[in-house]
Amino acid sequence: MSTTVKRVYGYLAEFESASALYKAAEKVRDAGFQKWDCFTPYPVHGLDHAMGVKRSILPYFVFFGGLTGFLTAITLAYTTQVVIYPTVVQAKPANIFTVPAFFPIMFELTVLFSGFTTLFGLLALCQLPRLNHPLFASKQFHRVTDDGFFIAVEARDPKFSAESTKSFLDEIGGGNIELVEDDNK
Amino acid sequence: MGHHVTSKDIPAAGEHLDRSKVGGIMRICLIITVLGTVASFAFLLIDTTPEGEEATALAPWQGSFAYSWLWAMFYFLTIAMGGCFWTVLHNVSNSGWGTSVRRTMENVGFVFPFMIVFAIPLLFPQVQQWLYEWMTAHKAAVVSAGGEMGVKDALHHTGDPHDHLLLKKFFYLNQGFWSVRFFLFFGVLGLTIWLQRKWSIAQDTDPKPTTARLFKQRWHASWGILAVALTVTFTGIDWVMGLDYKWFSTMFGVYVFAGSALNSMAVIILVTIILRRNGYLKNVVGPEHDHIMGKLCFAFTIFWAYVSFSQYFLIWYANITEETSYFLLRNTGNWNVVSIGLVALHFFAPFLMLLRSDVKKSNKFMIFMASYLLVLHMVDVYHMVIPERGPSVTSVLSHGHEVKLWLDIPAAWLMDIVAFVVIGSGFLFLLLRNITSASLYPNRDPRILESANLHN
Repeated sequence: MSTTVKRVYGYLAEFESASALYKAAEKVRDAGFQKWDCFTPYPVHGLDHAMGVKRSILPYFVFFGGLTGFLTAITLAYTTQVVIYPTVVQAKPANIFTVPAFFPIMFELTVLFSGFTTLFGLLALCQLPRLNHPLFASKQFHRVTDDGFFIAVEARDPKFSAESTKSFLDEIGGGNIELVEDDNK
Repeated sequence: MGHHVTSKDIPAAGEHLDRSKVGGIMRICLIITVLGTVASFAFLLIDTTPEGEEATALAPWQGSFAYSWLWAMFYFLTIAMGGCFWTVLHNVSNSGWGTSVRRTMENVGFVFPFMIVFAIPLLFPQVQQWLYEWMTAHKAAVVSAGGEMGVKDALHHTGDPHDHLLLKKFFYLNQGFWSVRFFLFFGVLGLTIWLQRKWSIAQDTDPKPTTARLFKQRWHASWGILAVALTVTFTGIDWVMGLDYKWFSTMFGVYVFAGSALNSMAVIILVTIILRRNGYLKNVVGPEHDHIMGKLCFAFTIFWAYVSFSQYFLIWYANITEETSYFLLRNTGNWNVVSIGLVALHFFAPFLMLLRSDVKKSNKFMIFMASYLLVLHMVDVYHMVIPERGPSVTSVLSHGHEVKLWLDIPAAWLMDIVAFVVIGSGFLFLLLRNITSASLYPNRDPRILESANLHN
């Protein structure tokens, strides 16, 4: 018998269908849990609302990412084309009134930087990439990519308790309730 | 809404806006538009520049009014064409989100075939002489060649370099083909929207509604989308770009399309909001639809800016005489105020205002926003059409004499208002007629529940 104490990740409960999961998610939300999540084989419309997920902070990151791109473009185009090496093309002025020629660069860099911020901001907010997840220790959880609908309530949630959370999940229709322990010793 | 909509919430006979409820407005609009159109036609068709005589005192007024009329006509035409676009796009792309607002799209689009009434003056030489210089040049070439040659040969012989340009463009810019296109626009796109709306309405009362019409509409929308694209592009080219035959821009058709799609969406938003405020459509249209339509407005605001900048940018960069004439006229003097104003008010202002997602779901805000966009579209079309007025009317009046540029056309803005009110009343009458003539949404469409329970 191993004497190592394993860390408890939380409870995992299975639900019969997407709609059962949806209704259960509303109840978990109303019960006031914070650290919990739903796992489904495919995206379920409106589930974020049922879970009470708040608006992401990502748009603010993207705004500043885009702004950085925009300012980079102005600086780049203006410095090279006006300050350092003024190029006269088709009798166009080499000063700030050449700005239409800079527009494509401003647009492209704004979009590029916004895109990068979106991608990397999303990865950071989702804490990706990661090599493992404690739930992978559960055998039944493998079905989540096939036909399993799960809710996991983490032990770090302030409202978590070994008994009442289990009975709560049972009450809202969860089956195969399992206490998942972290594999890492 | 608020709850899951089921077939119990959809009345079997659909919802109808009774004509008596809007009868007063319709009657007033009809009276204004009939009287106004008859009076305008009578005025536009007077021969003010008789052969071999001095132009009469009415001539500058008539020339000026021809431009007012074209402006107002083209403004409402773009909105109607946009209605056709949204209907056909919805069907061809197999969409489900907008089934509950599709009838409104059809109602806006079905104004289009009737717009031919307001476009008729363009067919008459009394109006054409003011608007389309190339038609006058064709006639002058024939006269100067002694009247024996055809137009094409005559253009070859005058020796005027501008006539050479007209010769090169003769395959497209000739009176016969131009008139044929005039009828093709209304015929083909009119047929498209008429068929789409007819099938859609037939579904409303079908005791055994199936998916057959849905697929039929989708199939016919596949050529309909082509009809929309060609009509929007070539009405713009024939009637507006043709005001200055020397000028050409490959972006112009897309430019007209961008304004067209944006502003018909604004009208669709206004109609659906006003109907809901009066207790209709409530079961099937909700904040999710408002959100999507707001997003489309937002997207097309950007698209308009993208296209109008591209047009400016290509011409500015290449700096070719034939292309720059458009902006020489519009980016100098007082017209430049309008040009800059459009950039700020037609792009930056709506862009920033529509950026947030919650404002798109606010009906109060979207009523303001849609009205704002429609006003700016007025300015946009004004900026396309009216700058040609001063130089063109002046040059027609002073042909053979010393050119006094920038003739002051008295009270031209007053005639703009007259033309706008007359055609606008006609548009409103036709729109209300379409809205009251059928159920307010396709109540037996297979996708109506999908649309009513939309979540985006």
